[in-house]
Amino acid sequence: MGVAAIRTEGLSKRYGSVDALKDLDLEVVESEVLGYLGPNGAGKTTTIRLLLGLARPSAGRAEIFGLDCQRESVAAHGRLAYVPGEANLWPSLTGTETLHLLGRVQGQVDAAYREELVTRFDLDTSKKVRTYSKGNRQKLILIAALMTRADLLLLDEPTSGLDPLMEQAFRHSVHEAKGRGQTIFLSSHILSEVEALCDRVGILRDGRLVDLGTLTQMRHLSALTVEATFDGTVPDLARVPGVTSVTVEGRVVRCQVRGSVEPLLKVLAASGVHELLSREPSLEELFLAHYGAGDPTDGAPVRAD
Amino acid sequence: MPTELVVVPGVVPAGRTTTVIARRTARRAVRSGVLWGYVFAVYVASTALTFASTYKTAAQRERLAALYGSNAAVSALVGPPHQIQTVAGFTVWKCLTTLAIVGAVWGALTGTRLLRGEEEAGRWELMLSGRTTRRGATAQALAGLGAGFVALWAVTALVTAVVGRSSTVAIGVGPALFFALATVSGAAVFLAVGALTSQLVPTRRQASAYAGAALGVSYALRMVADSGAGLGWLRWASPLGWIEELQPLTSPHPDALLPVVVLTAGLAGLAVHLAGRRDVGASTFPDRPAARPHTALLNGPAGLALRLSRPTLLGWGAAVAAMGLLSGVVAKSAGRALSASTSVEKVISRLGGSGSGSDAYLGVAFLITAVLVAFVAAGQVGAARSEESGGRLDALMARPVRRWSWLGGRLGLATGAVVATGLVAAVAAWLGALSQHSQVRFVGLIGGGLNTVPPALCVLGIGVLVLGVWPRATVMATYGVIAWSFLVEIVGGTVNANHWLLDTSVFHQMAAAPAVAPDWASAGALVALGALGAAVGTFAFSRRDLVGE
Repeated sequence: MGVAAIRTEGLSKRYGSVDALKDLDLEVVESEVLGYLGPNGAGKTTTIRLLLGLARPSAGRAEIFGLDCQRESVAAHGRLAYVPGEANLWPSLTGTETLHLLGRVQGQVDAAYREELVTRFDLDTSKKVRTYSKGNRQKLILIAALMTRADLLLLDEPTSGLDPLMEQAFRHSVHEAKGRGQTIFLSSHILSEVEALCDRVGILRDGRLVDLGTLTQMRHLSALTVEATFDGTVPDLARVPGVTSVTVEGRVVRCQVRGSVEPLLKVLAASGVHELLSREPSLEELFLAHYGAGDPTDGAPVRAD
Repeated sequence: MPTELVVVPGVVPAGRTTTVIARRTARRAVRSGVLWGYVFAVYVASTALTFASTYKTAAQRERLAALYGSNAAVSALVGPPHQIQTVAGFTVWKCLTTLAIVGAVWGALTGTRLLRGEEEAGRWELMLSGRTTRRGATAQALAGLGAGFVALWAVTALVTAVVGRSSTVAIGVGPALFFALATVSGAAVFLAVGALTSQLVPTRRQASAYAGAALGVSYALRMVADSGAGLGWLRWASPLGWIEELQPLTSPHPDALLPVVVLTAGLAGLAVHLAGRRDVGASTFPDRPAARPHTALLNGPAGLALRLSRPTLLGWGAAVAAMGLLSGVVAKSAGRALSASTSVEKVISRLGGSGSGSDAYLGVAFLITAVLVAFVAAGQVGAARSEESGGRLDALMARPVRRWSWLGGRLGLATGAVVATGLVAAVAAWLGALSQHSQVRFVGLIGGGLNTVPPALCVLGIGVLVLGVWPRATVMATYGVIAWSFLVEIVGGTVNANHWLLDTSVFHQMAAAPAVAPDWASAGALVALGALGAAVGTFAFSRRDLVGE
């Protein structure tokens, strides 16, 4: 087996008395696409900043392609490209100037692919960065990362601010990178994005990796939240196969369904359902269901929106 | 009080939210106004007290007046002298136009910072989503600026009135208040100019540049009017001319306040009007969002730093050149006046100087230049820190760039900028002196210019040290060193301060070149101190987390 694209051993980071990341042991093999899921403040960005050497670990170590992330960061950076969740760029430079600068600093650019990406993301690079919307700045920094064709892509919530059409373009680009054998580390709080792109998923909560596995292994996560309003009496849904977390408020029932929805639909159809709403549960709801209630970091109850 | 108004705890009642912009702006404007009021006050007080103690006899004062009274070049630069054989007349002549310009710069920068700067940073939008209109918000911000102006005036007036009670100065309270008002009226006009240019263009930098251009035109018009070429009426075409016409302390003309008030109110009104006619974040003048790419410098971090700093460095260069030119032109007359005073001669000989009067004057002028050059160094440290705190450094550091090489590049740029600024001051002073046929040696002036570099490099090193070990304090600490040193120099010059206290000033070990030969040993020590700070700071910076604001 070759060198792992990313390997961490007991990687930890404390800020004051808070453990932003605790004992992370993780290995990402070459050409793998790893989804890194967690709610806001779980430690996703901290992990990436440690991998980039922008922050120093309190304990443990990390390697990228066998290169130490602190001591050999420059060599490691030569093989990776990074997309932050918030694109902070120089307002007085134009898009073209920014891409030129970042390409020169990186030292490797596929110019033809860069032009293709500019067209794909529909970005006017003659404009100054200060006139760009948040979405356009995000496009610019995505293009700057993808145009390098780096062996490893570290993406930290890269689609924040992109509209659905551009999110499609992003997914297309990630598939392309995957097809070329690039390794991708995708941090996200959007379950469907990770499901669509990733081979394996790691789940982070309060700085700890609580679950890691292939999508099939994580199938228990893909539930559906169903909300039904009844005309008359409310049936007992708790006994229906695949249904969990049933709550009743007057004539409105909320529950989660795993696997086939057919048994639930049969019961609903027989009970005079007036209104039916189904959606993907938010990550917070899933966390509530699977990893215990409450968020010990701030003591506030987890919101289910 | 209407009974239906229920105040929920933690929720601000609707009526109060409407003044939030005024209060926010006022808080920041007042803070800055008090600080600059203190600078104004120190300048006025030191001028009056120094004159009173230096030129003690009527004969000395008459001689000074005879020297300056006939010099058209000096009149063109700082305004015509009136009754400068008196403490009051000399103080007005020395302070009024100078402080009007300093105040105008303060007003332009504060106005654009608190209007366009806030808007550019996106904070304006947040406020406008509350209960106010664009016009209302701008009017509120202007009220806040007004509070800052009042603070500036109050501090200046208070200190002038206190100093005026001294028997050697003897300026009454009423005249002191009017004099303070005259010195700060430049600030009032240019706060309004800054508010107006903030409506015209989309960035704070451009707004400041437009306001600066307006100041340049005002100064040039006044300069022509005072040059004695029979164009005195032009004084009425410039706000700085009106301020001269106020003639506080000598023969007050309060009616010249009328155009100042009318112009200030008119500009403010126009700013409010224009604010309502445009979108938030947009400008009245058409914005040119696109630009042809200029990639010549954008090949690495150092080139980027140069590209980003270029406008600021050119601005500093122009300011220092103007100041050098002014010092050079005035040097001859000022030097002659200095030579006439035995106590000044004593001071120069104590400093080890034997040069001509012009050299002595330039030696003092270059001490002020050294402060400006130190500001260039501090600005570069601040720019490096803002790259980090604004998250833009991440984009470079996530790529194959070493920490020390990035910081080293910025240090190199800063050092180059500091040396260049010192030399620009020297060459400008030489040109100024040449125009007056002064006997000033070019080599001596170059020495004087280079002599301003070591304190700046020391400030630079201290700044990098703080950037490395305590990043969030970088800007405060770096400017703090300059402010402290300047304070020590001013206070230390008038009282017999402990030499340990004096040694904490980066300017204290500086010889007053070209009046005396530069003390290269002390200069070397300052540079070594700076280099040590820079080395430790760079080492610490390479081994710490990058941190935001």
